Parts: sequence; C-alpha cells; structure tokens
Amino acid sequence: MVGRAGRALLSRRRRELFFGVIVLALLAALPLGVHGAYLRGLIVLALLYAGLSQAWNILGGYCGQISLGHALYFGIGAYTSALLFTRVGISPLIGMFAGGLLSGLSALLVGIPCFRLSGHYYAIATIVIGMMAALLASNWDFINAAQGITIPFHGEAWQNLQFRTAVLPFHYVMLVYAALMWLIAWVIEGSRWGFHWRAVKDDVTAARSLGVSIYPSKLAAAAISGAATGIGGALYAQYVGFIDPESAFDLSLSVLIALPAVVGGIGTLWGPLLGAAVLIPVQQLSVAWFGSAAGGIDLMVYGALIMVLALSRPEGLVSFFHTRARQEVIDHG
Amino acid sequence: MSPALILQVAIGGVLMGLLYAVVAAGLTLIFGLMNVVNFAHGALLMAAMYATWLIHRSTGLDPLLQLPLVAALLFGTGVAIYRGLIARTLQIRVNGAMVQIFATFGLSIFLVGLAQLVFGSDFQSINASFLGGRTLALGAIVLPLPLIASGVVSLLVFLALFRLSRTEFGRALEATREDFEAVALIGVDRDRIFGIGWGIGAAAVGIAGVLLANFYYISPDVGTNFALIAYVAVALGGFGSILGALIAGLVIGLTEALTALVVDPSLKQIGIFLIYLAVLMFRPRGLFGKL
Amino acid sequence: MKRIRRRTVLTAVGASVGLGLSRPARAVEEVKIGAVFPLSGNAAAIGQDARHALETMAEIINGRHNIPMLLGEGGGLSGLGGAKVKLLFADSQNNPQIARSAAERFITQDGVVAIIGSYTSATAVTISQICNRYQIPYISADNSSPSLNRQGLEWFFRPSPTDTDFTKAMFDFFAAIGEKTGEKVKSIAIIHENSVFGSDSAKLQARMAEAAGIKVLANISYQANIPSLSVEAERLRAADADVVMPSSYTSDAILLMRAMHDAGYKPRAIMAQDAGFIDPAFIAAVGPLAEGLMSRSAFAIDAVKQRPAIPAVNALFRASGANKDLNDLTARELTALQVLGDALNRAKSTNNMALRAALRATDIAGNQTIMPWAGVKFDETGQNIKSNPVILQYQKGQWRAVFPFDIATAAADWHIQR
Repeated sequence: MVGRAGRALLSRRRRELFFGVIVLALLAALPLGVHGAYLRGLIVLALLYAGLSQAWNILGGYCGQISLGHALYFGIGAYTSALLFTRVGISPLIGMFAGGLLSGLSALLVGIPCFRLSGHYYAIATIVIGMMAALLASNWDFINAAQGITIPFHGEAWQNLQFRTAVLPFHYVMLVYAALMWLIAWVIEGSRWGFHWRAVKDDVTAARSLGVSIYPSKLAAAAISGAATGIGGALYAQYVGFIDPESAFDLSLSVLIALPAVVGGIGTLWGPLLGAAVLIPVQQLSVAWFGSAAGGIDLMVYGALIMVLALSRPEGLVSFFHTRARQEVIDHG
Repeated sequence: MSPALILQVAIGGVLMGLLYAVVAAGLTLIFGLMNVVNFAHGALLMAAMYATWLIHRSTGLDPLLQLPLVAALLFGTGVAIYRGLIARTLQIRVNGAMVQIFATFGLSIFLVGLAQLVFGSDFQSINASFLGGRTLALGAIVLPLPLIASGVVSLLVFLALFRLSRTEFGRALEATREDFEAVALIGVDRDRIFGIGWGIGAAAVGIAGVLLANFYYISPDVGTNFALIAYVAVALGGFGSILGALIAGLVIGLTEALTALVVDPSLKQIGIFLIYLAVLMFRPRGLFGKL
Repeated sequence: MKRIRRRTVLTAVGASVGLGLSRPARAVEEVKIGAVFPLSGNAAAIGQDARHALETMAEIINGRHNIPMLLGEGGGLSGLGGAKVKLLFADSQNNPQIARSAAERFITQDGVVAIIGSYTSATAVTISQICNRYQIPYISADNSSPSLNRQGLEWFFRPSPTDTDFTKAMFDFFAAIGEKTGEKVKSIAIIHENSVFGSDSAKLQARMAEAAGIKVLANISYQANIPSLSVEAERLRAADADVVMPSSYTSDAILLMRAMHDAGYKPRAIMAQDAGFIDPAFIAAVGPLAEGLMSRSAFAIDAVKQRPAIPAVNALFRASGANKDLNDLTARELTALQVLGDALNRAKSTNNMALRAALRATDIAGNQTIMPWAGVKFDETGQNIKSNPVILQYQKGQWRAVFPFDIATAAADWHIQR
C-alpha cells in the first residue's frame, strides 16, 4: 500500500499498537487499586474470557465463521493439561501447549468438512459437534467420565501453576494470555488474510473474481482459534482446580466464549476485551448479589442486559469509541 | 428383542418425532420469513407448558381443550416479541444476524429467570388430565394415549401449515421473505406480515407445549432440551422448509428411539447427531433447504 | 493472614474476659457461616429447600424453641456467650467455578468461620479445595460421593453417609429380608443417569451385586433430562429382574415411572438411590405409582419414638416457607449445621484451628439429633463413621422406615417371588 491512504493506515496501526501497550500497562497496574481475592478473581476471569473471546473472534469475527461449539477446543485443552499434570506429572506450562496443539488439530478436523456449510448451518453443526463431544466425554472412562478430574494442590510453584491463596499470579498469567490474543488479532487485521476475509465478507462474488481462495486461510484461522482456546482452557483448569464434561464442553460455555466478542464488537480488535469487561462482572456479580434472593432475578438481569446491549449497540460496545467515519476506514482500508 | 418390541419402539419414536417436528416447524417458519434464528424458542415452549398448567390448575380445563386457547395466547406473545424486540433488530444493518441471535438469546435467559421467579423451580405436572396415564393396545403393541394424541394433532398442524402456504397470505409470506423491500412498494405491510409470521411460529410451539404438558413435567428449564433438538431438526430439514421440518422431526424421533434400543441409551442422541452431520456433508443446506 | 490474626485477637480478648467475670461479655455477637447451594437453575428447588433447612436450624439455635436435641434449647451458641448464628447464602448455579468464587468471597470478604454445601459433587470439589487452602472447615451437608473425603484434605468434614454406605445398606437389606421372608434377590436391573451421581451409583451397585452373587440383568445408562424414557423402560421390562435399581433426579424419575406404567410394566420391587425419588414433587407427580417404592435414606421421618425431636423440627421446617416435610436431603443439611454449631460451642472460639480441633473431637449421640444414626464421630479423613443409612418404603402415602429392623416402624412390603 502506498500513498497517503497507505501512510494513514500505517500510522493508524501504529497508534493502535501504542494504545494497546498503554492498556496493557494499566491492566498490569490494576491490582494495585483492587484488593481482595474475590474482586481480583473477577478480573482474572474477565481477562481469561477476553482472551478466549478474542481467540473466537479470529474465526468468528474476522473470518466470519460463527462457531457455537468452541467449548470443544476449550475442553480438549483443559483435559489434556489436567491429565498430563495429574497423571504424568507434567507441568501445565508445557501441558497447555500440548492441549493447544490437540485443540488446534481438532479445529482443523472440524473445519475441513464444516466450512462448506454456510451461516446458520455452520453454527448449528458446531453446536452438534460440541454436544457430541460432551456426550462422549461423559461416557469415556479414561478421562474419568462424568466424575471429572480433580487437580489437587501440589504446592505453590510457578511450574505447577498453582498458588495457595494468591490470586495475583493468575492475574498476570491471564493478562499475558489476553494480550497475546490481542496481538495475534492485531497482526491478522493488518495481514493479507485479514484483507481477504474482509473482502469476502463484503462481497463473495467480487472476492472470487479476485481469485481469492480463502479456504486455506480459513483453516489456518480455525487452527489458531482452536489452539488459542485450548490454551485458555488449560489455564482455566489450573485456576479452578477441577474440570468435568459439564464445565468443559457445555453449550453455555460455547456461548459465553462468543458473547463478549459479539457484545463488544464482532470482528474488532477491542471488542472482546470490552465485552468481557462488561459481561463477566455482570454475570458473576448478578449471581453474587441476586442469586441468594428469590431465584431467577440474576438470570433476568443478565438476560435483560444482553438484550439491551444487542439492540442499542449492534456494532458492539466499541462503537462508543469509534466514529462512523473511522469505522468505514477500518472496514475498507 | 421381539419384532413387536421393535415396532412399538419405532412407532413411539415416530410419534415423538412428530412432536419435535411441530416445535421445529415454528422455528423454521420464523427463519424462513426473516432469516432470524429464534433462540427463545425453547422458552416459548416452556411458557406454553406453564400456561397450560396454570389454566388447568385454576379452571380444571383439560389440556386437550386448551389447545386453541393456548395457541392464541402464544400467537399474541409471538406478535408481541416481534413488535417489541425483533422489529428493532431488523433496522440494524451492521451485524444484523448476530444481533438477532443474541437478542433472542438474552430474551430466553430472561424468560427462564422470570419463570423461576414466578413459579419457583419445583417441578410441576398435570396429573388429572383426560388422557394422562392411559394407553392404547393394538395387539402386542402398547402406546400411551397422550403420545398418540400429540401425533394426531401434530399432523393436523402440518396440514394446516401446508394449506396456509397455498393461500394468499402464505404467498405474501413467501414474497416478503424473498424481497421485503420490493413488497413494501406494492403496499404490503412488512411489519404486519412478519408479526403474523412470528405469531404463527409461536402458536405452533404453543400447541406442542400443550401436548407435552399432558405427559411431561414442567420446570423453568424444560424448554432447553426440546429446543436443541428442534434446531437440529430445522438444520437437517433445511431452514425455511416446513416439509423439511416434518421429515427431519420424524427421522430424529425414529433414530433416537431405535438407537436407544441398540446402544447404551445415554448415547442415543449420538445417532441423531451422526445422521445430521452425514446428511449435511452431502446436502449442505439440509434435505429441503431453499436458502 | 490478616483475617486470622484479627480473629485470634478477638477470641483472645473474649476468652480472657470470659475467664474473669461471672457474666461473660459477648466478644462475638454473631458467627457468620457461608452456605453454597444451587439456588437457581435446574437444581434450584433442592437449593431453596436446603436454604430453608439451614434457616430452620439457625432459628432453633438462635431462638428459644426448647427442642429435645443438641442445641435445641436455643439462646444462641452458649460456648460463645450466646452468639447468634448468621447464615450467608450464595448461589452456585451448580457451576464449580461459581461455587469456588462464592466460597472465596465468603472467606475473604465476609469472614465466615465455615462453609456448608453443596448438593453436587463437582461444586463440593472446588469448594472443599478452596476451603482447604484458606484453612477454613467445609462441612459437606449432602454430598455423597465417596471420593470427596479421599482427596487428602484436612479441612473436610462430612456428617452424612457416602454412596458406598448407602448402597451397602441396600444390599444388607436384600440379604436380611431374603433371610426373613425366604424371598431372596437373585437378579437386579440397574438404570442410571449418566452424570457423576448416576454412574458412581451404578458402579457401586454392580460391584456389590457381583460380590453378593446377584445377577445384573441390565445396566442401562441414560442421558439426564432426555425427553423420553420409553425405550429404557422397555429394556427394563425385557430384563424382568427381581429388583429395579434406579439412580435418577426428579424429572427423570417422574418420566421413568410413567414410562414403565405406559409400558405396562410394574417391577416387583424398586430400590431407588434416593435423589429424585424422595422429592415430594416426584410423589405428587406420579401419585399411586409410587406405592411400594423403596429408597435408601439417611433420614426416617417416622422414627419419632427414637428421635422425639422430629415433629417439632419438622413443624419449624414447614413453617420456614418450605411447605413440605423434611426429607433425606433437608434433614442432612439441617444436621450439618447442628454439628457445626456443636463444634463452635466446644471450641469456645471462632478461630479456625480451634474449630477444626473441636470438629475432629466431635462425638454426638444419635438420639441428640433427628437422624437415625448411631452418632456423629469423624475419622481421620473427616468422614462420620457412625452414620447408618436406613431403607424407606412408600406405604399408603407415607415414607416408612423398614430397615434396619430394630428401628423400623413398619414391616417391608416385599413380594418378589413370581
């Protein structure tokens, strides 16, 4: 890209990166102002979901394949890491990459047949595959079937990725995870793949006439997205200390992974983080505040919030920060 | 495993499948109309069941007799949801599909929470209905009456839906789906058509709810499982195809029942999923999908 | 760390004051106890019942109801100068991560002295683990998974029986009633939902059947919350075992009974693994179909002669908003708070170490509770070794205890001979 438009783009990209570093620094300093295990734990979860949702966003937002079965990759990553740790004694720092590898492969296996399907058919196919995984996992004795895997405390150590009561280390682990996901998305946004996907999303026939074959790049997106989700799953397993088919492969988890990106701004860089920053605290706090009262109010609050956000800010929460004009540039720049 | 047993299980599966088909029909109608996947479909089913239960409890009216009443109630609810929620989403150009999905998803969570608040989470059931607990024996085959009744009513619903598609109104629905900007030019009120479409879709699932209440338990979460099967049925049959919903429902019901006979019943849904994936590999738009 | 130091100072002051004066000053006004249960979602009914059960026991401790059992005289916790019990509830939504967060919040923000929970095994794992890390006792009120007290945790206490105890009681009953009536159990058919509760239960039952020389004619696992169980019922009918042994939650239990009825199959005996089968909603839904149904239970509501406190406690429970009788689950939950309260009294302190020591030293006689147990005494893994389950049978609209014979209030209706 050359000329004035090109230079404007480059400086915009540089600005985004600069802004990203600022946000990273702020989030790193956040624990100085937030005390107490519970609140810090909230932020840990929000950061985890920001990362998970950004991983989803790569496939769903940028590439346009709305997957509602990402829990499959989450679960594979979580179980792989948990099993390696509890049965073989391998550190989760290694286990999570093993998990990521397996889940990335699975994403490829799912993508190969499923990318032929369009829109809603694809979404429902991913739901079905996710449910099959949940069903099979509940009946597979090797991974303890329905009983799940308990990850006992082996002592406070970074190589165990376990800390007695300190939440701070996980804050940084999840922050690094979320930041890396953001960075990957930033790179993709400026890459040839990103350009191709945007072209296809705008006009399928035009893209085809350009000779853009996006199938291989879609597979690559799936692999990256799946692997990244798997790593997130492994981190979750170490944080919570327990994983079972219901918490690892459930449909509601798949939705929870996609929701922050959608609410925050699908296909945008900051969407997942913004969405997670709003949704996760609302979800957790509504259970904490209302859950003990008459049952159901927490669900009503959460449901109402999603409806309101979907209607009032369809482009996502990022639209609070972008003007229309800049949105055009991003779309077609 | 006697042939009579297999036949009985198969017929039971077909009858259950008809019920799945009715739920799917409502969903596919709404989708076919405006490209919206209604994620609140399960919640509507739950609402219909609670309505049936409430009316039965306060007036003693048998569920079968409540069919027109609850269908009308759900029709109104469907229209209200369209006007109150969906109509707004149609104006949205950016991310329209995602917004619709998540708006209805949020509605679903909200309705389940509301049901829990109002009715509590205890399981309810209708114990004194006309058909409940009675069976019909045809030789060696025994079938529960409520299930037979659901099958019959479901077939009638489909007959009605097929007739509808041939009427003026049905054609208007079809035209509006094809190009809702053009129809506005010839004076068709898009909002009215869509509203009625939502109403009919909701009424269909309402009828399914009444039939289910005859033999199934009622709780705030009851809609989730049926809705999931309905989504698979719609995708299998093809989004927008009523005939597809019928065939797919039957296939699913039959597969589910026969799989349970052969493998461990806890895996019986695997049969459905495998068939679904297999069909999609050869027909990416489902059996009869036109979109 | 700061938390514990503050508490230690408080209790030190309280102790020193208590030693010196004739009228003990209240160092601690109230003792906060955290309760984590599923208060929303599809187990919400159970969670809300648990809430009522715990509130009933708290009312007994804090009020002046003069009930003939341990802590029944009320007036607060005497060992802590009459301090009142304050219950804090959190919804786990049956989600292990939310349960863990709730427990952590109770411990770090609210300063609870202990946590009671939690109905499901998955949530119990994460709660007990986080409690262990913070060194706060977790009282498992109604988790029956045998693996929970074998995690090597030092802050885990379970007053109730495990599924191993429960299943053993079933087979002890089979042997005993076979001896007594001459109608021995030769075959069983197991049917269970495929989550951890059902699969664990089925494994235990299959193992114990094998050990007792009983044939397992069918072992059917089904997926919970499935729309139809008619095929499963057909398979049971085909097996035609002496006893059908189901492990199901309420909704499936209702579906199963109706499916069996529709299939024209009335099993000669049904021995349920509790859960859905003892839920009043189940009874209400299936009506006369439940007649003769048997279940294991940790509680026998009609053992009034041996446990005179039952009627009064039950009345209070009904009045608390539950509008139903105490059952196996709610009785256990109530008793868990009783055990905790007793330990607090003996510890004379809210300090976590003192509380744990007191819990470890627990030795409550069975007749001081509403449970038909020999007593409450924990082994080194935190499991009560004196809790003995009973077998109940639903006879003419009431749950009657039919085994062990020495505390049975009715004879078992047992006809399995063809």
